[in-house]
Amino acid sequence: MLRDPETVHPLDECKTWPEIRDKLRLWRKENVRCSDQIVELGEYALKHYQTNLGREKWAVFEQVCVAALDLCPAKMKLVNTCIKELAEQFPSSLRVSMLEGLKYEYLKKWDDALEMYEDMIEYEPTFPAPYKRKVAILKAQNKISDAVNDLNRYLNTFSCDHESWLELSDIYISNQNYKQALFCVEELLLQYPHNHLYHQRYADILFTIGGKDNLELSCKYYCKAAELNPGNVRALFGIQLASSTLSSIGKLSSKAKSDNQSLAAWASDMIEDFYKSQKTSKNLIIEVAGVLDKLSLK
Amino acid sequence: MNIGRGCVIAGMLMILHAGLGSAHHRANLRLSELPYDGLPVDITAQCVIGFVIACFGISKVAGEFKDISATNDLNRKTLDSITNVPSFYHFAHRGRSIHSIIYS
Repeated sequence: MLRDPETVHPLDECKTWPEIRDKLRLWRKENVRCSDQIVELGEYALKHYQTNLGREKWAVFEQVCVAALDLCPAKMKLVNTCIKELAEQFPSSLRVSMLEGLKYEYLKKWDDALEMYEDMIEYEPTFPAPYKRKVAILKAQNKISDAVNDLNRYLNTFSCDHESWLELSDIYISNQNYKQALFCVEELLLQYPHNHLYHQRYADILFTIGGKDNLELSCKYYCKAAELNPGNVRALFGIQLASSTLSSIGKLSSKAKSDNQSLAAWASDMIEDFYKSQKTSKNLIIEVAGVLDKLSLK
Repeated sequence: MNIGRGCVIAGMLMILHAGLGSAHHRANLRLSELPYDGLPVDITAQCVIGFVIACFGISKVAGEFKDISATNDLNRKTLDSITNVPSFYHFAHRGRSIHSIIYS
């Protein structure tokens, strides 16, 4: 494999066994799609530390299998070994058959994959994964409107599935259906009121739609995101932009204007403080100050 | 970790020993035909101390403590990882062409 000297290679970073295990765990937990690194590290762990992994081994096999599919066709052998090992350990598991389905999808054998998922739904109608895969197949075929319809139908039944709401909002955003995307993020906010990223996302969409009312609301949601996580710089920039835009709108009362101005000033200070506290280079801090100067509308 | 394991074993042994001690005490009482009025202080104390040591050890063995504030875990998440949804992965992406070059 070609090694790009610029990127960090996981095997140079993690040398000892607990480091490798924790890195793989972190990637599993945080849903990071850095497939090449997962394959590099996971393959190494499965080769040298299979006994140390214990029962976690099967989770790593699954993780490596999905990541290796991303790197196919080069890693097809690895995919096959993973599926074989898992199928031997769990002969009648739906989760393992999902991986078979993924392989069909990679090979673009859509009909085989769909047939497999239909069988799974018939066998176990309460297992949500095959429904989602059907949507993913439509997406891979670039039938976006069908995918949206399917996903909506799925969400009618499984309305607590936050991953699907997230996906639906993503699809809507990419199609510039911001009103519908807002609704999806509202569902997410109801489920996870403490997650600053959903607040920020809601505010982002409102800001994109624009208009005085939406800007005011987006400013509030950016504030909530910044309150939940003071290190969320994107939210701080959002506050700065939204409030400085608001303060320049003619329709606002003079009190609201001065409120927005002071909010914008506060956000600028917070952003500068943040960059100063991050031990970044002097140049970056000066650059940030320059950007903030340009952002504040005069 | 090793201190924790040692503490758990020591604590368990102490409790076990206290149990044996109390059985022994009862047997002695029965032989000398004295009435039973509670366990002696040293056995009770050993039991309690063993329990505390075992508790300490378990909390060491079980791993790192989680942060008490609920939002702290979320603050480390980035927008990239939160919008990445594994159950909707599909493989019709540029990786198909790129990786066949990189790995060849």
